[in-house]
Amino acid sequence: MTEFVWQRTPLLTIGFFIAKEVRNLIKNITNFIPVLAAIFVTDSTWLPYAIGGGYLVFIIVSAILNHHFFMYALTDDAVHLRTGVFSKKSLTLKYERIQQAELDQTWYFRPFALTILRVDSAGSAGKEVEIPGLSVELAHNLRQQMLAEAKHASVSATAAEDDVGAAPAPQPDLVRSYGIGELVRAGIYDNKLFVLLAVLIYPVSQTDILEERLVPWLEANVTFIEQSLWLNIGLAAAALSLLFVLAIAVTVISFYNLTLTIDNQRYQTRQGLLSIRTVSFRYHKLQRVRIRQNLRARLLGRFSMRVSQLQPSASAQQQQSAAFNLPVLTQSGMSELCRWLRLPNANQLNWQKISPVALLQPSFWIALTAPITATISYLNVENLGLALTLGASVWLALQLYAVARWQRYGFTQAEGWLGVRSGVFGSKQNWYPMYKAQQIDVYQSPWLRLLGYADVIVYTAAGAEVIKYQPAALATQLQHEWTATVAQNRKRWM
Amino acid sequence: MAINWIPVEPNYKSYLQLVVLIDMAILAIIAASLYLFLPNNGWLPAPLWFGVPWAAITVFFGLFWSLRRYQFTAYARTEEAMFLRRGALWRLTRAVPLNRIQHVEVRQGFLERLFGLAHLTLYTAGSGGADLSIPGLALANAEAMKAELITTIANEQTDESDHD
Repeated sequence: MTEFVWQRTPLLTIGFFIAKEVRNLIKNITNFIPVLAAIFVTDSTWLPYAIGGGYLVFIIVSAILNHHFFMYALTDDAVHLRTGVFSKKSLTLKYERIQQAELDQTWYFRPFALTILRVDSAGSAGKEVEIPGLSVELAHNLRQQMLAEAKHASVSATAAEDDVGAAPAPQPDLVRSYGIGELVRAGIYDNKLFVLLAVLIYPVSQTDILEERLVPWLEANVTFIEQSLWLNIGLAAAALSLLFVLAIAVTVISFYNLTLTIDNQRYQTRQGLLSIRTVSFRYHKLQRVRIRQNLRARLLGRFSMRVSQLQPSASAQQQQSAAFNLPVLTQSGMSELCRWLRLPNANQLNWQKISPVALLQPSFWIALTAPITATISYLNVENLGLALTLGASVWLALQLYAVARWQRYGFTQAEGWLGVRSGVFGSKQNWYPMYKAQQIDVYQSPWLRLLGYADVIVYTAAGAEVIKYQPAALATQLQHEWTATVAQNRKRWM
Repeated sequence: MAINWIPVEPNYKSYLQLVVLIDMAILAIIAASLYLFLPNNGWLPAPLWFGVPWAAITVFFGLFWSLRRYQFTAYARTEEAMFLRRGALWRLTRAVPLNRIQHVEVRQGFLERLFGLAHLTLYTAGSGGADLSIPGLALANAEAMKAELITTIANEQTDESDHD
């Protein structure tokens, strides 16, 4: 199709552009430190309002302009975009180059049956394109079309694949939904409480609100606080548990109605109460599977799983929320999913430990803590016996932890996967398809060279994994073996 | 499993020495200007406290380190992969399978040009800049290797027909 029909997004999408500006503001907040400083320093009462108002006007004007100059055209084989107010940008994205296409139904578009189409292309820059305000139906069709094109381009159409592609597949291979109860569990162990606290504490600590306003207010109005210690503790506990419940609510809202669908090599999750978010990947793009279980999750008998694809390092951080993530899985649910991901059978794994020599270095540093703890506590309490006991017990606890960590660490190779497990109280397993490794390093510090050991580092498209303390000859051998495995494999890896 | 390591150009040692000298000279200039131009520099220790370690470091890096680094640096190209050895005290051997290479680059810095050297960098996906960079190659050699690698990669991808 040669004829472009340039379109603007609906007027409603100005909200999206405003949201984008606000997001930019938050992202670049450090740039505004001089302005903020000026606000704090100045005595004039109108300046803060002037700056705030000016910024508000700026946001609205630039959102309107961005909306006005955001043009897109859809053709049979590509998306074309023209954006930019002053510096014009023209972008053509071929469907066959598209890595991923997701619909993001944010809460402010849902009442109008509109959606945001988010498209990721390959390429090292990790260009991400967002087209806001498409109708759900159109976006859905478009996404199907893009992914179909991508599939056709990538697949040298074998007959079987074509049959599957041609026949409308009404029944996905697997559908799993996760109820509120499960999500509450996820909320309990995957609690963002501490993150929330950290986020709250930072701005509070930057201003004097706490000392100047809150404390005098409390002292004036709630005199009984000082009268009872238990009341104090109770209040603090109540506040914390309120936050805890809020954090659970955040998890439940963001994962509400979580549904996992596996359909013909495509794995998809759909979740959210206010904004519905869909994340999916095709099996051959899988780069890493990470199964985690922290202590709380272990007590509740649940696991969480995250699947990573190729992530350009530039956008790795901001896309954290968009990763394929299943926060709560029972033991059987996890085994089932592992089978679908073709991970090796957990019962037949030969986990290999690393050499006990790995304990030398941490033990040395831990041994240093004992005299330090003893001295510090002696200086504080002036009781030699107590100080020595304290030093010894701290040393013992740390040393036991180091040994347990070494004991629980293991790596394994099975059915073309490299697995690494670790974790003392919880557990963490990382699985990488071996043939997708990008680089394999053997690293020796002078200390390792002295001992005759080396670290093996496997770089994959989803991050690096270090396997420490292999005997030097074995490390080189592993490097050669794995390199050969990768090199002889002709499968698509992304 | 013997790998046929190819050493880099002998010039590379001189290049490393020059780099060391320049870096140390910059440090020396900073220190000297502190002593000369700082108004009340009474609190600074005697210049020898900096001078002696400076000389020791210069000698260490200029003679020992650059020699070891030159001796250890080598590369090897097998059927399947490119290998690189690098480092002097902290040593790294890196392997990049040829079918994971995204693009290849020959670069020549200003100092490298004085010695007729260049380095060849192979980029892989998702590694965030941690790539294989072979230093101390003669420019013509680097260009030839680049051309040869690109042909190999291009041929490889045509017969990559199946999928999972």
